[in-house]
Amino acid sequence: MRVDPNSCTGCGLCVPYCPMGAISLVGVAIIDQDECVECGVCLRAEVCLSDALIYEVASWPRSVRATFSNPLTEHKETRIPGRGTEEMKTNDVTGRFKLGWVGLGVELGRPGIGTRFQDVNRVAQVLAKVGVQFEPRNPVTCLMVDTGTGKINPEVLNEKVLSAIIECTFPLEQTPEVMRTLKEVSQEIDTVCSVDFITRLEPDGEVPTERILSEIGAPYSINGKNNVGLGRPLAKG
Amino acid sequence: MTHTLHRKGTVDNLDNDYVLLCMSAKGINEDGSGAKMQEFLRIALRHKPVNMGDMKTGNMYSSLPEQVVAGVQDGAIVHAVYDNPQTVAQVLKELKEANLGMSVVVSGLFKPVEECCQKAGLKRHTVEYSLGVWGKTDKLPHERVLEVATMCGHGMVAANLVNSLVDEVKRGRSSVEAAKELARQCVCGIFNPTRAAKLLADIAATT
Repeated sequence: MRVDPNSCTGCGLCVPYCPMGAISLVGVAIIDQDECVECGVCLRAEVCLSDALIYEVASWPRSVRATFSNPLTEHKETRIPGRGTEEMKTNDVTGRFKLGWVGLGVELGRPGIGTRFQDVNRVAQVLAKVGVQFEPRNPVTCLMVDTGTGKINPEVLNEKVLSAIIECTFPLEQTPEVMRTLKEVSQEIDTVCSVDFITRLEPDGEVPTERILSEIGAPYSINGKNNVGLGRPLAKG
Repeated sequence: MTHTLHRKGTVDNLDNDYVLLCMSAKGINEDGSGAKMQEFLRIALRHKPVNMGDMKTGNMYSSLPEQVVAGVQDGAIVHAVYDNPQTVAQVLKELKEANLGMSVVVSGLFKPVEECCQKAGLKRHTVEYSLGVWGKTDKLPHERVLEVATMCGHGMVAANLVNSLVDEVKRGRSSVEAAKELARQCVCGIFNPTRAAKLLADIAATT
């Protein structure tokens, strides 16, 4: 996104709408191109009275900014708008997450800070070392040049996005090791990450990760997502 | 994506915040899913949601609800937001009877959601737990601002905008109107303006 300096009146109405704080006023509004994640919020807010905001489709590698930051942009690899996959939302139909396995989501940059792919690369490579399996249809996985090591395409490493989600799975009993590893690497990144666990319920309704997280003293939130099993055909197993 | 997860808050103010999501599974039950998701939204609308929307066509604060319903296509992801668990239980009961065959996810406080499922005769299949925010948390805005901003999981509601609107509420703008302005930014329609209005008014009154 950029501002046409000849059209901008310098009213400043667009400034607070930017989730990255990348718009400033120097007589007229200017957008820090290195910080802009191409999310399109300023334009969609329709607060510019002089139509001074200009969106231009970026070329590679800057193009990843919009695909990871603007939820109206569909990832060509997953055909899903947004940043992740169907994950647990359709698990009643896909059976993607089996009993005895955990789905882990590490969304770097969320909430509201943003991330460079350098940090995504760092976390992904550390997780790869403990043997997690990356979700193949996830947009971050699609940027990996080697899913065995978690290495992200070097061309995008300096690109900034609102957030990027690493999605992977591992056996339930590996939870303490993965948690410890993730905790350590999260201290080495220059951003925040929102972390989540996905599990299928046991036949008796027990949530297996709840027990393990309690055992290792890892706090979890009082609210979350519940797939209520209405999808058909129901996944086998 | 986890856009309805990681909503910050307390037991009290999260009990006004429940999001229902409906979608098809790619390559399995996607064909013809548009009509089923339109029916999901019609059922949802009968129970007066505080917000609703389709990821591709917008929410009820940027379009008319009828326009949102009419714009739903196969493969869409649609949402409805309620401010109490009693209504969620009623909607789930109707959705079960409608037998649409689409996956439905309810985001909210675990205990009330579980009770809603029991009332509707449903059993939860899979759950997703937030383990919170890790890393350089000193970069985060104030927790009370996050309670508002995290209601858009795609990050379309800027912390600066929340702060700016709090200032406007202090100067006399209605918190309800300010909350609608925030809801307009969240294209999917998962932002809860009813809860946001209360939070904005509280922040304005105490800071």
